[in-house]
Amino acid sequence: MRLVDYLHRNAELYPEKAAAICGGEKITWRELSEKVLERSASFRKGQVVPFRSSQSIDFLVTYFAIHQAGAVAAPLEKDIPENRFQEISGILTSSIVPEGTADILYTTGTTGKSKGVMISHRTIIADAENLIEGQGFSHDLLFIISGPLNHIGSLSKIFPVTMQGATLYILEGMKDLEKFFEALDYPAKKVATFFVPATTRMLLMFSGERLPKYTEKIDFIESGAAPLAHSDMLRLCEVLPKTRLYNTYASTETGIISTYNFNDGECIPGCLGRPMSHSRIIITEEGKISCQGDTLMSGYVNDPDLTATILKDNTIYTSDIGELDQYGRLHLKGRESDVINVGGFKVSPAEVEDAAMAFPGVKDCICIGTPHPITGTALKLLVMMEAGATLDKQALAKFLKGKLEIFKVPLQYKQEEEIKRTYNGKLDRKYYNSQKI
Amino acid sequence: MKERIREILEEALPLVDLDSDFLFKELDSLGVATILLKLSEEYSIKLDAKDATPKNLKSLDSLEAMVKSKLEK
Repeated sequence: MRLVDYLHRNAELYPEKAAAICGGEKITWRELSEKVLERSASFRKGQVVPFRSSQSIDFLVTYFAIHQAGAVAAPLEKDIPENRFQEISGILTSSIVPEGTADILYTTGTTGKSKGVMISHRTIIADAENLIEGQGFSHDLLFIISGPLNHIGSLSKIFPVTMQGATLYILEGMKDLEKFFEALDYPAKKVATFFVPATTRMLLMFSGERLPKYTEKIDFIESGAAPLAHSDMLRLCEVLPKTRLYNTYASTETGIISTYNFNDGECIPGCLGRPMSHSRIIITEEGKISCQGDTLMSGYVNDPDLTATILKDNTIYTSDIGELDQYGRLHLKGRESDVINVGGFKVSPAEVEDAAMAFPGVKDCICIGTPHPITGTALKLLVMMEAGATLDKQALAKFLKGKLEIFKVPLQYKQEEEIKRTYNGKLDRKYYNSQKI
Repeated sequence: MKERIREILEEALPLVDLDSDFLFKELDSLGVATILLKLSEEYSIKLDAKDATPKNLKSLDSLEAMVKSKLEK
């Protein structure tokens, strides 16, 4: 069975139950099923359908209708610049993808540039079953999604919610925290949600004292995409003593692998729990985490060579460094990669630098991670200008916004006399990473 | 005070047009949180999610008014 088949099953079993709520709008499982069948006529089997993602019920209709038609869904960033949307669409619509592919999700791969990760229908079901078993998604749950639906962290929550015939509550980000509290107040027996570390930090910083009254109602919160600061983990345990709080090991390439409820009295930082039922974790001789099981991607679209660098013998070799303890729990120890994780979004510094080099007057530059009170890490661009030129920070930021997805645009800029390179001419990332600028 | 607020926010949020007719519309969740954080640090006031209303975050003038009303309390 594919995920969309569960949707139609829900329409038969619980026709009048809310499938999703968004911005005052509500759709039942029956209505969703009808709309999906109607919309599916717009797509044909095997077609790859790129579309701009949105935080809406319409996203669900489009996503499921594409699957219904036997086509492949490629949801892209909501704010992706038009020229990039066209570029990716051009590549995707002429791509040939393996039978059984459900989605192509764009991510910054471990090697840098944005890559289309192919996810099969079987992978979606395995992710759903992992989450149901590992975190307890139930039929009476209201799951609040605030993150972008083209990102695996949020998209993957649609899977178990659909399989269980539960209800989604879609928010347009966490800009208006009052809207999140409205969602918590929605009449439901249990609620759950997924946060990236920046959201947890914001909530604790600006509304922490309001959370304790919800500890009976919030069944669980999952944190993912980047490590949550230990102080925030402890604080969450304190304000939500009865809520299960999960740290999860997952990525677009590996799928949902393992999870750990840190509200267990121990609250171990870096612990990501035991692998879920469809997953296996092996630590390589170099100490890196590799994963096996049905949740793995089928490969990068149009790039068998790149696929072969991380996917071999049904195993994905990540650049994350980890250990398994005596209980079989995974502990994350670091990452051996240039990729910078900004509040859960992976950014390849090289991509930012390439874009910035095209700005008039820029002679050299390097993009680095710098501590940020909310996102944990923010991007900073150090820029060397042509002789006599002065950097206009805002103009450069706006220029980059026209070329890159918004989360790839640095927040901080600094003009430097020179940018250090190694003896063979490569940017000296090690030097800058050790400077704590 | 308005110019100081502009200076702080220009540094922290280089992509945001602070002179927009409706500043709140220009912001994302990180932008809203950054404004609350920066203003509470600069003026030693307590700001929380309830202060992050579209009305308070409408313009630099409304931000200034919000800070002044907090300082009076």
